[in-house]
Amino acid sequence: MIDLKELILAKDNLIPLLRKLKKEARLIAPVKNGYGDTFFTEISDLDTTVIDLDSQPQSSLKPFLLPQQETLAQYTIDKEEYTFTPPEKEQATIYFGVRSCDLTAVLYTDLIFSKPTRDSSYYARRNQSLIITLGCNNPFPNCFCEATESGPYLEYGYDLQLIDLGDCYFVSAGRRKGADILERWGYFFREVGEKDRKIRYQLFLESRGKFTRNVQVAHACRRLQQHPVPETIWEALSRRCYDCGGCAYVCPTCTCFSVDDMPLNKTQGLRLRSWDACTSSGFTRMAGGHNPVDRRQHALKRRFLHKLKDDLTLHGKVSCTGCGRCVDICFGGVDITTFIHLITAAEVP
Amino acid sequence: MVGLATSFGSGAMTNSIGELEGAEVLLVTGSNTTETHPQIARNILKGVDRGAKLIVIDPRKTDLAREAHIHLALRPGTDIALINAMMRIILDEDLADDLFISMRTENFTSMRDYLHRLDLDEIAAVTGIDLHTIREAACIYARSCKSVICYCLGVTQHTCGTNNVQAVANLAMLTGNVEKEHGGVDPLRGQNNVQGACDMAALPAVLPGYQALTSPEVRERFRAAWSVAPPKTPGLSLTEMTHSGRDGAIRAMFIMGENPVLSDPHLKRVQDTLQHLDFLAVSDIFLTETARLAHVVFPAASFAEKGGTITNSERRVQLCHKAIAPIGNCRSDSRIIMELGKRLGCPGMDFESDAEIMEEISLLTPIYGGMHYDRLEGSWGLQWPCWNRDHPGTTFLHKYYFARGKGQFTITEHQEPKEHVDKKYPFTLVTGRGSYHHYHTATMTRQSRRLVREYPEALLEINQADCDKLGLREGELVELSSRRGKVRVKAHITDRVQPGTVFTSFHFWEVPINRLTIDALDPKSKCPEFKVCSVNLRKVKND
Amino acid sequence: MQDVMTICNYCGCGCGVYLRVKQGRVVGSYPSKNHPISQGNLCSKGWHLHEFIHSQKRLTEPLIRRDGKLCPASWDEALDYTAKGLRRTQEQHGSDAIGFLASAKCSNEENYLLQKLARAGLQTNNIDHCARL
Repeated sequence: MIDLKELILAKDNLIPLLRKLKKEARLIAPVKNGYGDTFFTEISDLDTTVIDLDSQPQSSLKPFLLPQQETLAQYTIDKEEYTFTPPEKEQATIYFGVRSCDLTAVLYTDLIFSKPTRDSSYYARRNQSLIITLGCNNPFPNCFCEATESGPYLEYGYDLQLIDLGDCYFVSAGRRKGADILERWGYFFREVGEKDRKIRYQLFLESRGKFTRNVQVAHACRRLQQHPVPETIWEALSRRCYDCGGCAYVCPTCTCFSVDDMPLNKTQGLRLRSWDACTSSGFTRMAGGHNPVDRRQHALKRRFLHKLKDDLTLHGKVSCTGCGRCVDICFGGVDITTFIHLITAAEVP
Repeated sequence: MVGLATSFGSGAMTNSIGELEGAEVLLVTGSNTTETHPQIARNILKGVDRGAKLIVIDPRKTDLAREAHIHLALRPGTDIALINAMMRIILDEDLADDLFISMRTENFTSMRDYLHRLDLDEIAAVTGIDLHTIREAACIYARSCKSVICYCLGVTQHTCGTNNVQAVANLAMLTGNVEKEHGGVDPLRGQNNVQGACDMAALPAVLPGYQALTSPEVRERFRAAWSVAPPKTPGLSLTEMTHSGRDGAIRAMFIMGENPVLSDPHLKRVQDTLQHLDFLAVSDIFLTETARLAHVVFPAASFAEKGGTITNSERRVQLCHKAIAPIGNCRSDSRIIMELGKRLGCPGMDFESDAEIMEEISLLTPIYGGMHYDRLEGSWGLQWPCWNRDHPGTTFLHKYYFARGKGQFTITEHQEPKEHVDKKYPFTLVTGRGSYHHYHTATMTRQSRRLVREYPEALLEINQADCDKLGLREGELVELSSRRGKVRVKAHITDRVQPGTVFTSFHFWEVPINRLTIDALDPKSKCPEFKVCSVNLRKVKND
Repeated sequence: MQDVMTICNYCGCGCGVYLRVKQGRVVGSYPSKNHPISQGNLCSKGWHLHEFIHSQKRLTEPLIRRDGKLCPASWDEALDYTAKGLRRTQEQHGSDAIGFLASAKCSNEENYLLQKLARAGLQTNNIDHCARL
């Protein structure tokens, strides 16, 4: 057991600390761009870039750890023989300002890509990463991480977790890499006092009371374990799914992908892995044209059951992290919260 | 566009896309919105979820029609009859907006007299919808003061397309649903910059900003800027050019980023025309079916490799940014045109940036008067008309007065489509954009593996009842023939189409459906009749 | 990785989309949350917008037809040849024997330039695009 330290970092010391950390690794943090959209962005200059810790980043860490399109290898064909060149080595990267939901998602993805064999491409990036989270004192309007037990603060999984106490951060180390930082840069921090702990606990309680959405995840999960979902619900949802794939692409825990070869010329090409979505009909269509899943009835069935039922059975935890990114973006208005409302409201047969 | 311009004085969406969500009644006609304009459908459905009423007029049972409170599945080509009936019912029920009509419109008396002469039962029979349903739809539409009509190519691609549009405009004016937020007439534009290409006068009969070719004042302004005046006589429309024939009036063409060989009606004539030109130059990003016929092909830069502005359906002029340098030896179309212009001695072809071109556009085009790159940069664009630098742009049109002064009622009479079903060709073929996953002639979308996987090949939508008659099963090959040609395509059984009607798209070069389509044009807008042509179906026996 | 804001190339909705660029290649498309149209989501065409850009089938060299076949040529050759071709037609058959098709997929600036070339350069109003198709 490592000594999981807790310390206090004065807000004035945050940038100086990041400056030190940035010397040895790429620093990625939420930055609001000129259009008002906040994304995780590589910070090249800490003095000219403002880190935006007040908005929810529009995408999770997924575009970094499992990019929308990544090159698994470059291939060359010589006399019908393939030779593969692996991509360049990954850089050490610090992700700063990650929210609890997104870290929970990373932990889930770690699990997915570790079985049955470790995905070398994913772990090449993951092993090089250090994640510093920020607990949420003010949940965003679409958030419901409390209901999925993935926030607003976390107990484990992060390298470092920061909690904003007003003029300072309450910093906890959750893993060795984080503890190392506290040790090495100890002079940036001060010890935690009893008062700090009290404020932290108070803020935690307040934050839990601030969620505006009432999404009954636990209730829904119980329902799903005990009763099948009425077909009318699946049909009503499927009729409104227009197959954009957006819910899967913005979801931090959706990991479906497909692999294609993209020729560059006659002898060379790239083996690409890109995001895919189980809501598409081509995803399950077999050679010969037969499709075991009828999109008109079950377009969203796999997605919702996987998140709320199958993963609960397999891993003991739902794989929706309550980040709220898929809420409000669905063209047909049928996101996971709609589904949860429908089944919790439906009468038990 | 001509239709709406005649009625209102301006042929663009009167509302903004975001306003649709707040409408109380949404009447969608001739638009498969969920597939062709997903973001607009999203706003429509948001409105529906908030309690708005949705009326869909479409011969096909589209996904949106399934969400509708009333789906008027009319016989293809009978839009005018249906709308006239709705107007007559609105008059009978005393739901017309008399104040609006008297203050803001003209020619209503003759319109009213015409409507009173109509026989409603006869019309109901023509459209194939029972009168009760038409009445219900008319009343729902007229009772709200926040009613929006969205229409698309299902209305315009008929020989009576202009009249169809005017009928729609009449209906809106009759109930005063024109000049406001959440109320209006909205033509949805098919491609990313159709609106802009029209605004920039890539049209044979107007100058940029829809200014008259013949106005001495306008001509003088252009002469001063260009150092030569534009020619006075209107030019030929696209189909007139591409159908001019072997020894037609057109001897040479320059085609930028279009694929008429696949997109135009009666494509044998298009091919024939293009093949026999003395000179054909094509600029495109792929070697399209059209580019294959050219004498010179220019490799153009894609949208990701250049800047410039484009104008969306709601008249929003937005700035694009260059993401990467042109690949290979590609050049942007603007550079190609300027290089060519210099060689042809065309004055004023030495722009250094897109911003400089926009400066000339805003000087010469009043509705773009306030479009400056420094205003567009970092913003979400500006909606025209935007008259000057201080003007904030216009979210909805015709507030207080129509662009043409008063709105004009134009009497529109039902007119049968050019071609009727008969013994030899007993089915009606409707064509259009057929899939959520493809775009126009699919030169771009077919390069994406995922989109191809989702919709790999052309399908003919056909009703189960017709399949039973033909002994056809799902996925079997059918030969589709019209008086002009034939193609083979796989059948897809669906209740989206009614018995007697079949539908397919023009996305796939393997199934060049425009070999079959009729080249009858609307006399005013020159829009081809893609929505009605008579065909015969025959099951292809396996050899 | 760099995000470049641009407007989707497909339908007339006009979504704001970020193209994600990595080492000179566009490797992703992501919707803008604040953009009034895209509002955080794209349709399936939009989400796969980046996939055609680096297609191996892209044209990368000007082509000139020689002995019935399209062969690679230099820009100067292709442009000179085109100018000559158009000029010859104009001399033999008049300006109105030349037709221009602009594009609903090109920018306003490009459409403006092409109609200017037609009207001011070659003195014809024979210019149109596929608005009606």
